[in-house]
Amino acid sequence: MIASVAFRNFKALRSARIDLAPFNLVIGPNGSGKTSLIQAVLRLRTLSRLPAADAPAETEPETAEIVFRFNPPHDGLEATLTCRDEDRCDLLQLAPLPAGEGADDWPGLRARLLTSRSYLLDARAIARPVYPVTSDELATDGGNLAARLAGLHARSPESFAGLREEMIRLFPEYADLVLDPARGTFALRLSGGGDPVLVPADEVSQGTLYVLALLALAHDPAPPAIVCLEELDRGIHPRLLRGVRDVLYRLSYPADYGHVRAPVQVIATTHSPHLLDLFRDHPEEIVIADKHGRAATFARLSDRPDLEALLAEGGTLGDLWYSGILGGVPEES
Amino acid sequence: MNGRPPRLALLGESLVDESALAILVEAVLGRPFVQVQPGLRARGWPSVLQILPAVARHLHFNTDADALVVLVDADDTEPHGERHEAPGYFHPRCRLCQLRAVFRRATRNLPPARGRERMLRAVGLAVPAAEAWYLCGLDEAVGEAAWIAGREAGRPPYTRRELKARVYGTDRPNLAQAVAGATAAARRHARDPRRLEYDFPGFAALAADLRSWDIINR
Repeated sequence: MIASVAFRNFKALRSARIDLAPFNLVIGPNGSGKTSLIQAVLRLRTLSRLPAADAPAETEPETAEIVFRFNPPHDGLEATLTCRDEDRCDLLQLAPLPAGEGADDWPGLRARLLTSRSYLLDARAIARPVYPVTSDELATDGGNLAARLAGLHARSPESFAGLREEMIRLFPEYADLVLDPARGTFALRLSGGGDPVLVPADEVSQGTLYVLALLALAHDPAPPAIVCLEELDRGIHPRLLRGVRDVLYRLSYPADYGHVRAPVQVIATTHSPHLLDLFRDHPEEIVIADKHGRAATFARLSDRPDLEALLAEGGTLGDLWYSGILGGVPEES
Repeated sequence: MNGRPPRLALLGESLVDESALAILVEAVLGRPFVQVQPGLRARGWPSVLQILPAVARHLHFNTDADALVVLVDADDTEPHGERHEAPGYFHPRCRLCQLRAVFRRATRNLPPARGRERMLRAVGLAVPAAEAWYLCGLDEAVGEAAWIAGREAGRPPYTRRELKARVYGTDRPNLAQAVAGATAAARRHARDPRRLEYDFPGFAALAADLRSWDIINR
């Protein structure tokens, strides 16, 4: 989907560029541009709804600018967002590149970009009853999860069954996911003998609700083209993070899971060394956001030439990150 | 032992490895065992080394475990060789030697508890990763000798990612895929573990430890 993003004068990203992979886990201190990367993607989506600007705008040297390039079949097109100030990026320009395909297919690229979504899940919103019980997409806080689950069950029973199966595998204390569309909610049925015990959504743990929302995304037969997730590890036990990574890999590498659909580009942020540990074999999926003074930059962990040597000295990826030798840690006075 | 099944605790770096390890241990012992405190887990190599003393102490005093079985990946460190078994030998880059030493230090001064003098241990080292064990007998190019020769030539014959791709069909297996692949391979080896012992001295060391437990095996 998005091949790279280059920033100029956008918030802390004064001069930064990052190549994006199908799956991207962004780590770094607070204020290092992780959320700005996600905001840039969302602004591109928002401006994609409008007609693109015909002529290059006159820009001041200090004008903020975000330049997007794309993967095939749209690698012949460049999109530039220009900002009047930090909060007003309202000009989208498109330009063909000397090489690559799809320079004349902005409508096709636009249609994909418009499906991009960003999530900062909220357990209370997820558990709240929702009406009506049909919805095309998961709300940014997960607030209409009950509707999404009911919709998935109605439109794609096979996908719902896959979601249910994966949920039970991740949370063996539960035996079933029970929908209650009449009340606009759902419940989880506890495992074990005796009378069935239903745990209503508002009594389910926060982490379980977050994972359930991720499962709803991962098992959606027509997921967004780009999914951005902030604080992926929030509320989730470290040992469950492997399962959470699997859920997201289902989005990014659908063929590995038997799905016939386009890969979803995932951009997720975390502060968890435990989650980072799981990417030792795939450092190309890790983006380190760093902040020096007021300026932030991005780097791919796989671009670090001595990474293997550092790991060979002992320490997990999470340990190395926490130690500071990989960068992506807060500055200290 | 009074004929009761041995009570063993397993410690590894992942649920995947532990699932396969349980099958292999049972095959070498030739009898079922009871797993004490299922779900012990370490976060990768240094974590195993760091938590081993606490785990050993906890098992010794708070459980009736007869023994602790530990499995770690060698990654790019020194494989455990025959000369490492010489009395008093310790290779500082061999994880198996390191784990044995740490266990020895952690338990040598513990007083008897729970009706036993001491807890036994067995340690295995998968070179470079447990996925190599799972390919043993299926891929002639995979074995400790090939790994060592490749490292010495400066060209390791495969990477951890390549091993995963060969075992699971993807280098990003989900947990269920990985457990299924690992346990299927372990069951194949369980029918006759001799090939695994021959090709992987890091497994042979584990098997030798298990067979040396007179108090459990007699």
